[in-house]
Amino acid sequence: MPCEPYQDALVDAAASGAEPQGELRAHLAACPACRAAFVQEQSLFSTIDTSLHAAVNVEIPASLLPRVRASIAEEPAITRGWTPSWLALAGAAAMVVVFIAVYAGRHSSGGETPVPIATNTSSPAPNVLPPHDQNLNAAPPAVTNSVPTIRAAATRNPAPRNAVPEVLVPRDQEALLVSYSEQWSQRKRAPLVASNFDPTNLSLLQISPIQIDQLDVKLMTEEHAQ
Amino acid sequence: MQELVLIQPGSTLRSESAREAAQSETRREFEERLAECGPLAYRVARSVLRNSADAEDVAQEALLRAYRSFDRLRDRNRFRAWLVRISFRIALDRLRSAKRRDQRDILWSQPAHHPPAATAEDLAASSEFQLHLDRALAELPEKLRLALLLAAMDGHTIDEISALLAIPVGTVKSRIFIARKQLAEKLRCHVNLIKTR
Repeated sequence: MPCEPYQDALVDAAASGAEPQGELRAHLAACPACRAAFVQEQSLFSTIDTSLHAAVNVEIPASLLPRVRASIAEEPAITRGWTPSWLALAGAAAMVVVFIAVYAGRHSSGGETPVPIATNTSSPAPNVLPPHDQNLNAAPPAVTNSVPTIRAAATRNPAPRNAVPEVLVPRDQEALLVSYSEQWSQRKRAPLVASNFDPTNLSLLQISPIQIDQLDVKLMTEEHAQ
Repeated sequence: MQELVLIQPGSTLRSESAREAAQSETRREFEERLAECGPLAYRVARSVLRNSADAEDVAQEALLRAYRSFDRLRDRNRFRAWLVRISFRIALDRLRSAKRRDQRDILWSQPAHHPPAATAEDLAASSEFQLHLDRALAELPEKLRLALLLAAMDGHTIDEISALLAIPVGTVKSRIFIARKQLAEKLRCHVNLIKTR
């Protein structure tokens, strides 16, 4: 009886620890050599398992845990990652609030969009928040600072839930922006807004006269004659 | 870039005390897991390195790293699996660097090379077959080796190994099966030689 086809199946059966099934079982029953080889394979796997078990399940040194505890005690306190990220989160939250306020204000004011104000300041025009709450008059103006590298600090006062969020404002634009915010909250039109400003602070728009060169008019008859 | 500074007066002291409380809570929680999982870290390291002193060093390092990162572990139930991986990885690194060091030593002092010192416990545990087994184990692919070692450890069922390694139960079974077969291939001749003596 040829034994070669059963060699792999024999090893697999010994490795899995399961009883041989089907053809292999019949072959082992009929072939003493393969039966002996199968017993040898089972013995080999048993030896491997026993040796592995002995090698792996060793006693834990008594010094291990005290050593680890001592190392942990020497460790500096764990610095939690969320502490510095709060600042970034607060900044991001402020940006989101401003964005929502601008977006809501534009949509709630019946399509009215703020008209830019002519100023004599050289700094870029600030973004002005339209009102989104009736309590705006009592609240500080909500204006974003578009000027880079300006460091400003503000104290946070406990505000009611519906209050307009506080936003940092450059000092040189504070009065202008407060005034504009009030004008806007009263739904004033652009001319009214502009008229409330001190004209001395505003430079008149200088428009140079239109330059038109004198026309050289020739009669058609003269051209034909030439 | 515009810089905004938000100050919350009066909240500094409160947050400091809250932080200290959180740290002591973290330490307490880690301490609980240390007693439970410390032996696991040691056994994983020992099964890779076959040296008690090195295994202790590796287990200590793994536990210390685990402590440092414990705060960032969101699912604390994954601590055991996490620790097993850290310990296995550090042990493998140490084994490789030890091999490199040994090779360098052989090159530098060819005639007077001595094997690395082993403790009495290590010597007692190592028979001839055990040495062959160690070599055969070291030659196994990492994935197969870790599955087989965990299966050999007391108290690890196939389901637990599956959870520890985050792989399906069927994969664990096949890895253990293949690992045992590969070990048998390498050890068969040695077993026969030992028996015929």
